[in-house]
Amino acid sequence: MKIFAMSVLLAPPSGTTTVLSSASDLSSFSFFQRGSIEEFMTFFAKTVSERTAQGQRQSVQENNYIAHVYNRGGAEQLCAVIICDQEYPVRPAFSLLTKLLDDFTAKVPQTSFSQPSSIAFPEIQNYLQKYQDPTQADTIMRVQQELDETKIVLHKTIESVLQRGEKLDNLVDRSNALSSQSKMFYKQAKKQNSCCTVM
Amino acid sequence: MTSIQDRTNEFKTCVESIRSRSTLGNRGMEAKQRLLQNRSGTKSEFSRIASTIGKEISSTSLKLNKLGQLAKRKTLFDDRPVEISELTFIIKQDIAGINKQIAQLQAHAKQQEAKSASTSAEGKQIEEHNKNIIMMLQSKLADTSMTFKDVLEVRTQNMKESKSRTEQFMYTASTAANHPPSMLYNTQRGGADPMGDGSVAKFDPKGKGRAAQNGDMLALDLDSAEEGTGNANGSAFMQMQLVEQQDSYIQQRSTAIESIESTIAELGQIFTQLAHMVAEQGERVQRIDADTQDIADNVRMGHNELLKYWGRISNDRWLMLKIFGVLIVFFLLFILVS
Repeated sequence: MKIFAMSVLLAPPSGTTTVLSSASDLSSFSFFQRGSIEEFMTFFAKTVSERTAQGQRQSVQENNYIAHVYNRGGAEQLCAVIICDQEYPVRPAFSLLTKLLDDFTAKVPQTSFSQPSSIAFPEIQNYLQKYQDPTQADTIMRVQQELDETKIVLHKTIESVLQRGEKLDNLVDRSNALSSQSKMFYKQAKKQNSCCTVM
Repeated sequence: MTSIQDRTNEFKTCVESIRSRSTLGNRGMEAKQRLLQNRSGTKSEFSRIASTIGKEISSTSLKLNKLGQLAKRKTLFDDRPVEISELTFIIKQDIAGINKQIAQLQAHAKQQEAKSASTSAEGKQIEEHNKNIIMMLQSKLADTSMTFKDVLEVRTQNMKESKSRTEQFMYTASTAANHPPSMLYNTQRGGADPMGDGSVAKFDPKGKGRAAQNGDMLALDLDSAEEGTGNANGSAFMQMQLVEQQDSYIQQRSTAIESIESTIAELGQIFTQLAHMVAEQGERVQRIDADTQDIADNVRMGHNELLKYWGRISNDRWLMLKIFGVLIVFFLLFILVS
């Protein structure tokens, strides 16, 4: 479940897209392949963002990679792409894209869109690293996971409560028996005392 | 819906027709004519603007009626989302424009009030009349916007229903498209999204309304997929397999959140069960406690009795010897007799 690359592009409805900021994690590939794979990722990201209409989300699959695209359009005409493997869950991918775009528009002023090289957005790398494990980073998934853990703990608790119930039953029976036996003992002792009063 | 209508022209024509019929009182007629002309000439700017606003409100309500008719339709396939979204957009803009105009009118009236500060009865009446007109226009606009809101609610309700019905009917088609990778080569930009651009401003920006459209487009896209296969195989280029998203992003989120909600409800149930069991076990513990008390008491009493007995025995040695003596005497007696 890995993310390979993430990027934010400027996607005007007509014509070419330009990459504004991108980050990638190609550690799973051998050193010599990385250059060409990086080019491939950039090309892939640009192509799918060109083919996505404004305000639309899409997922495109190519061999082992899936690109999730969210073209937000709007005033800034931004588009975010994430390229990951097939196991990565779809919904957190899109929420990550939305978060990324919001952060980007908050931090980078629109005037610098025309000079992509001047944009400094290091948070994109942080996002990439953090979201390698979506169950921790995505809020909904984390809540779900914690709830599942809590449920397991509660099931164990109920089991132990049941065992406690059994032991308590045992104790009730035994104390009942003891009580009757001690009563018999008392009666016997009394009877013995009351028998030989003559002597 | 009543609207402010401008009837001074009718009044004029009536007066002229009456005048043409009667020949008496020419001077009176002239005076009346002058009065009419004055009135029509110096029609205040206020009433002009108010009448335009009234006309616009009536036209907006007409459009709203049409939108309501369109929204009420419950047919599955004849739905006209483009029209509805356009109408919605237009009506929204109209309402905003009317709002602005009313605000301008109000400012204008306040200005006039401040300028003239006339204490004459006529001036005060005019001011009050203007205020009343403004209030009436505002209330009419408020009514229109409430109706607009209701129509939109009805529309979203119907869309939800039609989507669920679409899912029922198109379920097999959607699963068939999901499993084999569909060779859709979708280069048309606006093709899959007829509603996204028109109503982005109106609906939730994440395009909640598009859910229905994706499901609908599926039947058409399967046809184009057949053609696409022929083309794509021929090209030596990278074959991009486009995975059509059946459930939009928002639906997935809502399902995830619903599952969280159900998990939390389950947890609540488990907790109540737990509490119930512990309460029941508490009662058992009480029983055990009472029993052990009884046991302690009984054993103590028995112990006391035995102590008494032991004390009696150990104090009565003399009596023991006496008893043995009596027994020996009896034995001797029996032996002597026998």
